[in-house]
Amino acid sequence: MKTLTLAKAGIASTIQDGGRLGTLQAGIAPAGAMDPLALKAGQYCLGHRAGEAAIEIAYGNIRATSSHDCSLVVTGAPATVLIDNEPAPTQCIHTLRAGQTLTIGPPSEGVYSYLHVSGGFNTDLVFASRSTSPREGIGGLHGGYLRDQDVIPLSDGASVSDTYRADPGLCKIAQRAVLTLRYVPGYQYDELAPALIQRLNEDHFEVTAKANRMGVTLNGPLLQTGVESLLSEATCQGAIQIPPDGNPIVLMKDRQTMGGYPIPGAVIESDCARLAQARPGQRIRFAACTPQEADNIRWLEHHYVETRLR
Amino acid sequence: MLFTIGPAGDTAMRLTFQEPPSPHLTHLLLQLQRTAQAHFLDALSDSVVGYTTLTLFFMPLRLQRDQVSAWLEKTARSLSDSKQVEATSNKEAVVLPVFYDPAVAPDLTSVADDLGMTVDALITVHSATLYFAYATGFAPGFCYLGTLDPRLKTQRLSTPRLRVPAGAVAIADQQTAVYPCESPGGWRIIGACPVTLFDITATPASTLAVGDSVRFEAIDEQTYCSLGGQL
Repeated sequence: MKTLTLAKAGIASTIQDGGRLGTLQAGIAPAGAMDPLALKAGQYCLGHRAGEAAIEIAYGNIRATSSHDCSLVVTGAPATVLIDNEPAPTQCIHTLRAGQTLTIGPPSEGVYSYLHVSGGFNTDLVFASRSTSPREGIGGLHGGYLRDQDVIPLSDGASVSDTYRADPGLCKIAQRAVLTLRYVPGYQYDELAPALIQRLNEDHFEVTAKANRMGVTLNGPLLQTGVESLLSEATCQGAIQIPPDGNPIVLMKDRQTMGGYPIPGAVIESDCARLAQARPGQRIRFAACTPQEADNIRWLEHHYVETRLR
Repeated sequence: MLFTIGPAGDTAMRLTFQEPPSPHLTHLLLQLQRTAQAHFLDALSDSVVGYTTLTLFFMPLRLQRDQVSAWLEKTARSLSDSKQVEATSNKEAVVLPVFYDPAVAPDLTSVADDLGMTVDALITVHSATLYFAYATGFAPGFCYLGTLDPRLKTQRLSTPRLRVPAGAVAIADQQTAVYPCESPGGWRIIGACPVTLFDITATPASTLAVGDSVRFEAIDEQTYCSLGGQL
């Protein structure tokens, strides 16, 4: 069996693909790559067409060896790549020979990098996805964060593959002093106090250290709703959830599937990935947009990605 | 019945009924959910029934939000006007054994004290009600059960516990639930249920589904342990 052995697994590495569909009513979060564009870029670089999974690495720092020759690419947050301690150019496809050591250093910016290996990882599918949900203990290699000395099975197709015309540099890192998160107002928007909505739309917030795959907590003016809880309803990605303490939390891929806190709206998918790649301290502002504007942004991005990746 | 339809983010539409939760409303929402799944097939990525809501998640490159909201508007109106809402679950009430004892339920005594009743009376009231499953989610296998006898209405803990053990039977406001796996939680724990409520290898993975009826049955320590309960 072809395998990749992790000598050093990093602080919060997980196997992720596009995530799950149809599991929300059962209480299972969709999971999936926090930066779907970076995942897709790597898949296209290696000619992966079946939604192959990658290792999502938070803040870099992993070391691995492969049992067989393979091609690999690192996408997402730009990190230094060393092969047998020799620096390799970033943002290109590398050949890793059997027994050679791959080292991925800390990224210079952003949070999540993605290690793709030709053929993809051959871990078990759970509800048709290889994504890891650590809270539920499902997916990935053993349901949790990858650990030092883990041995990950590679698919038989793993070999040195042809190069494809794709841009490995595509990802969602925002090099902006203030990152604007566009959001679609929900039905509670009109029920919340106008003064609160005004603060949400006009003031600046900051990403805190409480940022992970479940959600990103922001610091800023307190948004006191005076509402303890509402009838539980489905949460969606990007939902701006306001708990009683007034610090908004933007819900991400491993969110709890039901929630009862006030939610003025939800950040559009495109900007969720930008928020995922933002480090603590990043300044944030919110901008309400119509659903039609959100659709236009999606179509433009879809077109751009297809142009850059093919 | 009055309802509103609006976006839940950029890839979902939410239907919200303007009336209090009831088993009838839940059955209507479940029927709408089944109809939506049959109509949109895999252009729907997911759908979730809440207390008074149905949220439809759509594949944005395959389905337009206007199509979803137009369909919801039409179908919700005709279903809520017709008298043909079917109860989904013909299965009998699910009976869950509960060991009500301070050894496994840290809040049992204090809840009884707060409510001004004896522990025995609390157990009798909690296990006498036939509960209805209004929603599932939060965590895998977690099921929101109502409606709690008004005599048992309590506040949540002011500071949630970081770890509530799997099997904890808890109450909050007018709801009760069993925690299917260890998780954080602010509900007050009055018992422990030794039955596994979520098993990824089983079909279905969750023992409880929206629309089910559930009853709790008090058991003694010996029965609790013989069913696999941990003290």
